[in-house]
Amino acid sequence: MTLSTLSTFTAIRTFTNKPSYFCIDDKSIPAHQLAASVLDFSHSRQVNKDKLLRGTGIFSQDLISDKKLSSQQLLKLLNNAQDLTPGNDSAFLLGNRLFPSNYGAISNALMHSRNLSDMLNVLAVLRSQICPFFSANAYTTAHRHYLLITDTVGCKNQLQFLCELYFSALVSATKLIFGQRIPFQFDFPFARPKYIQEYEVHLGHRLNFSQPMLSISFDKKCLSTPNQHSSENLKWHAIKQAKHLPMPKQGFLEAVRRHLTAQHNMGLQHIADLFDMSPATFKRKLKQHGVSFQQLQDELGKQQALFLLQIQQLSNEQSANLMHFNDISNFRRSVKRWTGLTPSQLRLTFKN
Amino acid sequence: MNISLLAKHQKLFSIACASLTLSITLGIGLGNAKPLADISWLDIIGEGSIALLSLLWIFFILVSRPPGKVTSALIIGLSCILFTANLDLVDEFIYYQEAVSWLSMIESIPAGLGMLIMSYALYQWHQEQLILNKQLQKRESNFRQHQQVDFITTLYDAEYMRNQIDTELQNKAQPDFSVVMLDINNFDLFNRRFGHELGDNLLREISDLILMNLRATDLACRYAGDRFILLFPDTDLEVAQKIASQIKRAIANIAFKPELSADPVYHQLTFAVESAKFGDVTENILQRVSRRLELFKQGQTS
Repeated sequence: MTLSTLSTFTAIRTFTNKPSYFCIDDKSIPAHQLAASVLDFSHSRQVNKDKLLRGTGIFSQDLISDKKLSSQQLLKLLNNAQDLTPGNDSAFLLGNRLFPSNYGAISNALMHSRNLSDMLNVLAVLRSQICPFFSANAYTTAHRHYLLITDTVGCKNQLQFLCELYFSALVSATKLIFGQRIPFQFDFPFARPKYIQEYEVHLGHRLNFSQPMLSISFDKKCLSTPNQHSSENLKWHAIKQAKHLPMPKQGFLEAVRRHLTAQHNMGLQHIADLFDMSPATFKRKLKQHGVSFQQLQDELGKQQALFLLQIQQLSNEQSANLMHFNDISNFRRSVKRWTGLTPSQLRLTFKN
Repeated sequence: MNISLLAKHQKLFSIACASLTLSITLGIGLGNAKPLADISWLDIIGEGSIALLSLLWIFFILVSRPPGKVTSALIIGLSCILFTANLDLVDEFIYYQEAVSWLSMIESIPAGLGMLIMSYALYQWHQEQLILNKQLQKRESNFRQHQQVDFITTLYDAEYMRNQIDTELQNKAQPDFSVVMLDINNFDLFNRRFGHELGDNLLREISDLILMNLRATDLACRYAGDRFILLFPDTDLEVAQKIASQIKRAIANIAFKPELSADPVYHQLTFAVESAKFGDVTENILQRVSRRLELFKQGQTS
């Protein structure tokens, strides 16, 4: 058990040369995808197009061209759409329209996957093309499969809107592909919203709010849910096509997190070197994405501690060991600082 | 702001403009300018704001109401008031010539006339409102809050229903109402097949049908997505179940035709009913009914 846990944590690619990634202001996302869907949807809700595009630097002719947009532009557009569209359901309705929509090859690849497990694997490879704002790390316990979700380029103010958007896209896409509703459970870091009915109708009833981490989980058995339209040939052909598209696989924060997880206690100087930047530039870059180096380290510590203590139910010694702490009391103090709870309290909060 | 109604009021628009221009030209044409020292700025602010606000009211009535008797009376009345207010404003800047001193004597007559016409219009408006309330009866209980109206179906939204259930719970020591939640089967497939615009149309038609099958005291709201929620005051589970079944049957029989095609699509509903219990809170009732609906829906697919 200990060994397998260790391997889930270190089973992350280590990079030898400068990692490739996209920053919040890199123009790498095709305009005819999410942006076009947002415009169509807002149009159906009678939102003024000029107001919708205000401040985004996007022009309506961009949407029918091969132009690329940055995450920042898309976030601004989503923000405008949220403000201007009546009702609380715009993110959910947009999510329902996201797949298969304009995603071409990647939608085809997902559409022809063998089963849910295979679909998630395809998604892990091509994710940045269809969902550039979130990345997922998969963990498995005896009975459940967990996807811990983190942001790839920072989206602090719009986390909730993006969750509503991409999670309802996941629910409606899996329903389309597998012909049934997968019993996903969603854990959100934000408080229970007033318009809970939208969550219930679009995401189902397995919802927890004010949780320490953003995650999706489901019964391990569901991984083998078969797809009636599965086809290995069509899937691989589509994956090959999708890989031709010049979109980096990961966002800047995602790349930084990978390095920090792969190698413990990495200093600022060291990681800045890896990214070919001076520490000052690296810090500025992090700030542009809405976090500090310390915050990132704390967040990763919190994630690992929660996973080891709460989900895996490991002892203090085992967890401290896996997280490279030499001293148990030091470990206890850090856990308390990250999560607000002591390790023993965390073990008690486990829910099935 | 939606000003599309303005185009339908050409006559009323000219009346308001005529009142504006006539009063100003009359005043200026028949008088001599006052020396600057004689002008009382305080009076100008007071009378100017009356003129300006009556113009604003005219504008809002024109953009809010469809043409009709009540609208015409409101605009004519306000135009008379505007006429007097303008004359008042203009004579702060000028002295009338001797020959037309009668003008300042009669200048308040249009305002009085306007007030009379407005009073008549308001009474008519009251009558009209009673009729409209009757039309809206099944859409709203005894409370109006336009911010909570759903954009697609123009029913009230879930928040409004929560408030109404709260009121029901507060008003009676022993709650005796029932709640029905209903959901269109395979609505997402319909959306994928025919597009979201037709999906929205379907929601509109279904909400109309639901309203048709309700009694005068019942209330229908849109919950979320393709889910509706109904409130039956003073109704037990059995009766609520009966009405819900009638709605289900009515909708199953409607041949919804997507756009120009003659091939109809039929729709089935799933519904769940719950009655309020002693000591209930709104959130619990909603939880129970939506859980039950979820169970029924799962039962269908497996």
